[in-house]
Formats: sequence, C-alpha cells, structure tokens
Amino acid sequence: MTSAPKRILMAKTGLDGHWRGPTIVARALRDAGFEVIMVGMVTADEVVRAAIDEDVDLVGLNIGGHVEVAERAIAAIRAARPEVPIFCGGVVPPWAKKRLEEKGVEVFPPGSQLPEIVEAARRLTGWQAA
Amino acid sequence: MSTGTPLHVLFDRARGGERGALARLLSVAEAGGEDAAALDSLCAASAAPRARTIGITGAPGAGKSTLTAALLGCARRESQPVAVLAIDPSSPLTGGAILGDRVRMHHAAVDEGVFIRSLASRGQQGGLAQATSLGARVLEACGWPWILLETVGIGQVEVEISGRADLVVVVLNPGWGDEIQANKAGLMEVADIFVINKADRDGVAQTRRDIEGAIAARPGGAEIPVIETVATRGEGVEGVWAAIAARHAALEASGLLATRRRGRIAAELESAVMSALRRRVAVLLAGDAGLRERARIEAGASGIHEGARALLDAIVRD
Amino acid sequence: MNHDSRPQRWNSVSGIPLKSFYSAEDIPAEHRRVMDASPGAAPFHRGAYPTGYRTKAWRIFQLSGFGKPEDENARIKFLLANGETGFLMEHDRNTGDHCYNVDHPDVLARREDVGLTGAVMQSVRDIAICMDGLPIESTYGHAGGAVVQHAPFALAGYWTVAKRRGIDLRTLAGTGQSDFFLTYLGCVTKQQIPTPAGLRFNADIMEFCSKHLPRWVPVSIAGYNGADSGLNAYQELGALFANAVEYLDEIKRRGSMPMEEAARGCGGVSFRMSMDIIEEACKLRAARLMWTQLLERRYGITNPKVANLRIHCVTAGSMMTWQQPLNNIVRGTLMALAGVLGGVQSLGVSGYDEALSIPSEHAHQMSVRIQQVLQNETNLCAVTDPLGGSYYVETLTAQLVERAWQFFEEIEQQGGFLATLDSGWLHARAAENQHAEFMAQDSGERVVVGVTDFREDISPYAVDGFMGVDDAFEVALARLEEVRRTRGERRAGDALRELERVCRGSENIMPAMMEALDADVTLGEVGDVWRDVFGDWNTPIQT
Repeated sequence: MTSAPKRILMAKTGLDGHWRGPTIVARALRDAGFEVIMVGMVTADEVVRAAIDEDVDLVGLNIGGHVEVAERAIAAIRAARPEVPIFCGGVVPPWAKKRLEEKGVEVFPPGSQLPEIVEAARRLTGWQAA
Repeated sequence: MSTGTPLHVLFDRARGGERGALARLLSVAEAGGEDAAALDSLCAASAAPRARTIGITGAPGAGKSTLTAALLGCARRESQPVAVLAIDPSSPLTGGAILGDRVRMHHAAVDEGVFIRSLASRGQQGGLAQATSLGARVLEACGWPWILLETVGIGQVEVEISGRADLVVVVLNPGWGDEIQANKAGLMEVADIFVINKADRDGVAQTRRDIEGAIAARPGGAEIPVIETVATRGEGVEGVWAAIAARHAALEASGLLATRRRGRIAAELESAVMSALRRRVAVLLAGDAGLRERARIEAGASGIHEGARALLDAIVRD
Repeated sequence: MNHDSRPQRWNSVSGIPLKSFYSAEDIPAEHRRVMDASPGAAPFHRGAYPTGYRTKAWRIFQLSGFGKPEDENARIKFLLANGETGFLMEHDRNTGDHCYNVDHPDVLARREDVGLTGAVMQSVRDIAICMDGLPIESTYGHAGGAVVQHAPFALAGYWTVAKRRGIDLRTLAGTGQSDFFLTYLGCVTKQQIPTPAGLRFNADIMEFCSKHLPRWVPVSIAGYNGADSGLNAYQELGALFANAVEYLDEIKRRGSMPMEEAARGCGGVSFRMSMDIIEEACKLRAARLMWTQLLERRYGITNPKVANLRIHCVTAGSMMTWQQPLNNIVRGTLMALAGVLGGVQSLGVSGYDEALSIPSEHAHQMSVRIQQVLQNETNLCAVTDPLGGSYYVETLTAQLVERAWQFFEEIEQQGGFLATLDSGWLHARAAENQHAEFMAQDSGERVVVGVTDFREDISPYAVDGFMGVDDAFEVALARLEEVRRTRGERRAGDALRELERVCRGSENIMPAMMEALDADVTLGEVGDVWRDVFGDWNTPIQT
C-alpha cells in the first residue's frame, strides 16, 4: 500500500494572469499522484501562510518578470519552513536562472518537459505513487 | 512523522497557537492509523469548548466556494476566528488531486483569524469522513470557534461528511429542479438551510417552489430558510450568516444539537469500527488463513458460508 | 531526432488531415461557387479591399511600452522614426489590468515589475506625458486598455488629452481593444468585473464612439489571446464570431445605434499568426468569409463597407524560444508572411527576445525591419490574395469555415460566448490543446528547432533580455502623491460619485469617465468603484 500522496503548493509570484503553465504542470503532477494545492497570484506573506497551514511537502512557484520578486518569496518560505524544497517555472533570463540555482532552487524555463518536472517533484519529496 | 516530535508536544504547541504545529496535526488526522487514533484521544481529553461546525455543500458549479469565501468575510467582520476544511475529490485513476478552494478565499490570505486547509478525498471508503471529523476536532481543541466544512457534490460521501457537522447548508442554483427531485443521497433531508445562489438568473421562484415542495413533509420543514444570494457580489450573504447563527442557536436551545451530536458519535463509532474491521478482514483474507479457506472452497471441501464463518471466528478470537 | 523517423501523420496544426497534394475536386462545391469573387467584394475571402496593398500597405503596428510614461513615449518615437506607421500605447499591467494604483498592497509586493509590461499611467497627466509630441491626428494610435475593466480609463484618458490639444474628437482615428479573450480567457486577473458588466462597458464604448468619435474603432476582438491560450485555428475563428454576436445582440437589444454602425464598430479584429503558414493565411480568408455570412444571415447586413472584416495580426509570442533567440527572427518573418499572404490590414511582429523579456530596442527595430523587407523587397504588395485559386488553400479555407461554424454552434448551444467563459468550458478546450501540444513535444512528435532538436548554438552574442527601467515605481508613487495633493479635490470627488451613480444605473458610463479623467481621478479610484458596484468575476479556473 502506498503512503499518503505528497502535497505540493503551486503559487504565482507575479500579477500577470497567464494560467496555462501552472495548470499544465498541476495536471501533470496530479496525474503522477500528487495533491496540488493551488493558491493563485500571491505575495510572499500569502505563500508562506499557505505553505505553513497546508503543511505542504514541496513548493512550486511560477515566476516571471524581475527575479527579486521571486527571491522575496523564496526567502520568506525558507525563513518559515526551511525544510521544504522549492522549485520554479516560468520566463526568466539565463542569468536569473543561474542566480536562483545558486540558491538551491531548481528552475524550469519554457520548453521544459513535463516528465522532467514530475521527476523533480518525486525526487524533492522523496515520494512516488505506487 | 518526519521530525519525530512526540504527538503530545505538537498538540500542546498547536493549542498554544502555533499554526505550523496545528497544520502538522491536521496531516496526522488525514493520514489515519495509529497516530490519528492517539490524536483523537488527546482531543477527547482536552475538554475544549465546543466549536460550531457548519457543513456547506452543493453540486459543482453552484458557487459554494464563493459563498464560503463570502461567509468568511461575515465572520471576520464580527471578529470571529473561522477555520475552513475544503474538500475536493481525488482522481480515481491516479490518486492525485487539484485542490483549488484557497484561490477563492484570497481576501483572507493572511488574516490571522482564518485557517484554511485543503483536503483531497483520497478515495477511501469512510476514511474521508473520519479524517474530516478528526480534523474538525483538532481545530476545536485548538480553540477555533467556527469551522466550515466545505464539500463539493451532493452524493453519498458529501451527505456523510455533512452529517458530521452541527448544521448543513445546501447550495443550489436556479433551474435545478431535476437535482432536487432526484435527491439520490437524501441531501434534502439533511439540509438545515438552503441557498439559491446566482439568484440573478431566471428560475429562482420555481426553484424555491421545488425546494419547499421537497421539504414540506419534513418535521419543521416550513421553518427551514431558503435564502437567495449572488455570492460574487456579496448579495444576500449576510442573511445566510445570520441564518446560520440563528439556526445553530435554535438547535442548541431546543436540545436538538445535543441529540445530533450523540447521533454523530454513534455514526462515527460505527464507521470507525467498520473501518478497523475492513482493515482486519483485508489482512486476514490476504494471509495464510484466508488463502487456506479459499483453497478448501476451491477443492470442494467447504462451502463459502462455512469458510466465511471460520474466518469470522478467527477475527473474534483475536 | 531524424526527420525520417517522425510519425507519418500529416495534419494542419488545428488537426485537419492534409492530403499530399490537392486538385480541383477537393474544393467543396459550396465554396467553389464563391471562390472567384474579387477582393473587396462579397464574400471578401480574397481581401477586404479591391486594390489591396497597392493602395495601402499594411500598417506596421508594434506593441510597445514600459517604464515611466516618458520612457514609453521615447520608445514609440523610436519606432515611428524607424518606420512603424501606427503606434500602440501599452499600459503597465500590474496596475492597469486590475485598476490598482501603485500603492495597492498587491502592486507593492511586486514593485520591481511595475512598468515592465507597459508604462504606469495612473491619471490623465501620465497619459499626457506618454502622448507628448505624438502625431495622433495623422498617425493611427491604439490607446491601450486591452483589459475590459481598464478600457474606459485608457480611452477616456486618450480622448481627454486629444481634446486638450484642441483636436475635434469627431475627426480622431484610432482604436481601443477591451478584449474578452484576454481578460476572461488568456490572462485571468486576480480581480475583474463580471462578464455582464464587461459587456455593458463595451456596448457603452461602442455607443459613445458612434455619437462622438465616428472615426474611432471602439473595441477590437482579439482572437490572438484565444489562440495563445490554446484554441486552434478554427476554434479561434468560431469563438471570435461568438464574441461579436454578444456585442451585436446587446446593441440590438438596446436599440441605441444602427446595426450597420455597430457591425462596423466591431469589424476590426485581430488574429494570431502562428507557424503553420498556409493554415494561418487560410484562417484570415475564412474569417472574412464568415463575417460576411454572419452579418447577412443573422443581421441582414450586406453593405460592403461594413461586411469587409478588417484584420490586425500579431505573430505568436509563444512560438519564440529562449534557446537560440536569433532563430526567432526567422519565425517572426514566416508568421508575418502568413499574415501578408492572408491579407492583413496591420501587423505586429513579436520581438526575437520575447521568450526572455520585453523587447529591447534592437528587437523592436528588427520587428519593423522584417515588415519593411516584406513590403519593399519581395513584390508581395503587387498582387492581392496571391494564394487564391490554390486547390489546397481554397479547400483548407472552406474546411476551416465549416469547423469554425460548428464550434460557434457549440458555443451558442451553451448560451453564447459569455456563458462559455463563465463556465470555464472555453478554458477547458484551450487547456486540452495545450496539454496535447505538450505531449506531442514530449513524445518527439513535435520538433522545435533549438529546443527539442538541433541544440548546438554558436551564436556570436548572447541575448540577455531587456528588463525596462529601474525607477518606474518610485516615480509613479511620487506622481500619484502629487496628483492627490494638487488636484481639485471637490471636483474629483464629485466626478467619482457621479461615476458610481451612473454605474449603478444603466446610463452610458463614458461621459462620466471623461469628466473623471479630466478631474484627475486616478486609476485605483476608478477600480474601487468597479469593485464596489460590480463585484468580482467568479473565475472558472484556478490560476
């Protein structure tokens, strides 16, 4: 019997309403057996609140625009729940991607394959559906 | 549990107001098993004041998440802390789920007086209702005075979950006469308040007649409020909140609430015993004793009922 | 991956099975009957105008804007100096889309992004700075306001600035957008007025223009945003006309203007151009044909000055890759070519750096150069509808029309375009296609050069991505405070109260908007009225 599904928080740090990317990733993760809690467009405080109250195992951020906005969210999550891994997807220039990776956050730019992302979720949560 | 923090320590921290600890406890409740049982005992022993647990359900598309979000606003305007357990179905194919109720409640996103927890049904028989009940008890033990149980659907599971609440609000839309007539799971009998949401559409009056017709035969049916709302504009929502408070007070005053809670305990006890039995049966059937009986039946040395009785004796004996 | 080892399934991108070659018999009989019509005559599939690009080349029309209003002003002037022949004023989306001022908590939390996707314009003063020195009487301008709840502000602001310059609004040409596809399908905002309120806004804008700005195109249905959210070619077509029906039926219900004028008012639309070159060109031919059919069958309109659909195209930004960005110049060119072959009236080409950021000056210049090469070096302007008569093109045009009408019918059966937005049905269709596209890319069925295959890059320089300016937020905040400090508070207050009063009733909102903009009412204050009066759209999807 498989253990309970791991819970992944999906949040957008920006205020632009493109929803396809997060939706496609959420569906792929659901199809891989994860529970995906979607919170929409949120500030750093809001994503931290959700990460705590939902006791999630992994935080997925859809980012774009200035990387500082994402970095604020990442720092806030790390302060509140240092043990929870974070991964990101979205439109970021190569230098911003590198900067986030140096902080220990995996980044999936446009064109990333879904199996890669699902695999990362499995690895980061240490869990796979049976 | 991940860090090995003893359960009672987590429990004390949660009761002390630590949200992270409360969140972890809710995960324990969800997971079920031994830890959940121990948590249950801790809650029972804590003698916390009773919370008001309100079930909110309705078919997909009724707008019940929007209504719940608006009700949060009503509670907060009265400075009442309120918790929400929002339940969405898991995929029967993959076991995963997309839980999206928090998006609707973004107005309460950092309000200290609101606690929102998303739960997936996880496809377990009876397990969801148990997890939800325990989750509500944990929130109660941590001092949350209002708990909203939000489920989507008007089927058996939703009726069962709603039955764990003190009071049930059923959300419908204009033009849903067929759903009301069908009443497959008996939701019409369980509801304490009806909300006709999206009341700016046609067919409100007919729907009201359909509801009133369906509940006319119930004792006290004439007193059941049927309230119109347009939740996206907040219209009528204050009336729903007032009705919830009034109905709850009336249930308490009349002693009906106590009766329901007793009934709830009985139902939960039965459900818990059945769950435990189901687990034992599954183990037994898959084990040596079970395989032996099957072999005997296949060889013609025993009949099915004989084999069943033999296995049943084994459970009772242990 | 080897081209030869790809699965041998030849369909158009929208899924129409393609033969390896076509002949006359493939063209459906019904289409054959109208095939030989001339450009500029019903059913217009061959072109909106008889002499096409010989008389008037398509407008080079680039989306532009970022930073402070003066930064956007500079970029627009740069583009005009480099040869664009119309300009688009893009408002910052963090503030504009939501009608928030920069001091709103949701904007503050993302302050670095303020001014990234357009200039911050919180009052008529900002709009005036953005329009400073722009030749608005002689050059066709798009006033911004792509999002429905933002449009009244953007339009009233633009027109107020024009008035202050002494321009007679009756002579002012230009366009608004106020697009449902963007607002309710492609780019779902955190808060938005519900769709019925949006419909009211757009009908009000159409009526106001009919009375006061007869040369102005009040709204523009942008199929682009439907396509970029996942709808395929015939779905984009079907949904676009279902959207038009909502506008026309509303005007008909109000009885407030002649139907021909209403049709002309929403007869300037936009489509996305993507990489299936022939299908995309056929899409535009199909669109013109469908508009003619729609107007005649449903509204009894046959006036050729109304039935000729005018089309703006934008090349698909989502086709741009961050890998090997110079390849995007090729992509932009090919997608632009599709538009030209399809007979567009105006064209915007995405920047080659679009997958990284907003267009740099060079990427913007390149977008203009691409169009100039097409206009001046290729002889494409000499002949209208060069693909007309091709067995393939005529067959595919007819097939798109057929499937588009079927999709249109599916929408109508559910209660119309707004109903399919409210229920999330349209989003589900878009998501299905997106999912299938992802799967195709994962399985190797879909090749994207530089991404799935042919990944070696020896480009001599890297494209870093242009991130706008650093001071948009601070300056916007300071200007907001200045407006509050220096405006006539009584007049602004009165204007806001009047706006609210009108919103709660059924009068046209635009006169009150004009007064509000003139009285220095700010964007966030207008948004507060929307939120108070109309509430929030119940999004059918989780973002």
